[in-house]
Amino acid sequence: MTADPRHLDELLRARDGDAGCTAGEDVLDAYVELELAGEDPARVYPGTAIHLQSCPGCRSDHDGLLEAARRFTDIEPD
Amino acid sequence: MGPSTNQRIVGASPDRESELWLEQLRPGHPRHDQTLARLHQTLLRTARHELSRRRGQLGSISGPEFDDLAQQAANDALINVLGKLDEFRGDSRFTTWAYKFVIFDVSGKVARHAWRRHPPGHKELDFEQLPDRMGPRPGDRLEQREQLDALSRAIGELSDRQRQVFVAIALNDVPIDVLAIRLRTNRNAIYKNLFDARRNLRARMAAAGHPVLEEEEA
Repeated sequence: MTADPRHLDELLRARDGDAGCTAGEDVLDAYVELELAGEDPARVYPGTAIHLQSCPGCRSDHDGLLEAARRFTDIEPD
Repeated sequence: MGPSTNQRIVGASPDRESELWLEQLRPGHPRHDQTLARLHQTLLRTARHELSRRRGQLGSISGPEFDDLAQQAANDALINVLGKLDEFRGDSRFTTWAYKFVIFDVSGKVARHAWRRHPPGHKELDFEQLPDRMGPRPGDRLEQREQLDALSRAIGELSDRQRQVFVAIALNDVPIDVLAIRLRTNRNAIYKNLFDARRNLRARMAAAGHPVLEEEEA
């Protein structure tokens, strides 16, 4: 890992329009459902799409929720 | 960070399955108890799966301790879900919305566990020089070496808090929630510090004649 410009850009990623952690927590369920439906969540939630590229904590939560919603689907109440 | 550009999905209504969950979870519904048990079972399964996914942060946690953590996460998530039923807007399936509470809870519990197991010390927060993996290498062009030197100087010029956060997260891979516990704050506040540090570093590098250009998103 040297001074690769792409790596430095990632290391210092701080894009305009980043919605932050709190705004993303509110919409994360809707965000992953758009992904599961094959739609682009960045169209509806651009601020969270930007945020998820930069925040390791929210990205991990997103990955976990996406996996759970994909794996444990169609659960009906008794 | 600027104002959120997220939009609300207006007019979404819950699907039939989600409506059933909501109806049957209301106190007094004839199937309330069975539905509650079913929801808890579903949340517990999700908690176990999420804990397994994050096992790298848990170390050598034993079977009973792992199960206990999963039970606690499912219990806490169930309380949160029941307390927020009126806030469910139908923007997603009910189960996805409910899973979100388990994921957040597991995230917090794993961070606390990781903190107890390996609290980040001064080594992870202090900055003396760029880590070896980032340092200049013999094949680097002069321009790349100068850019790394400029980055190193710029990090040294950050405020104490911004430098601690940037060094811990970006250079030493300390989990953001573990750092939040270490610095007695929350993820959102740490992220704001990280964002501001990155912005400052970009500005300082540009001022020093070594701008870091933004790559096109994939």
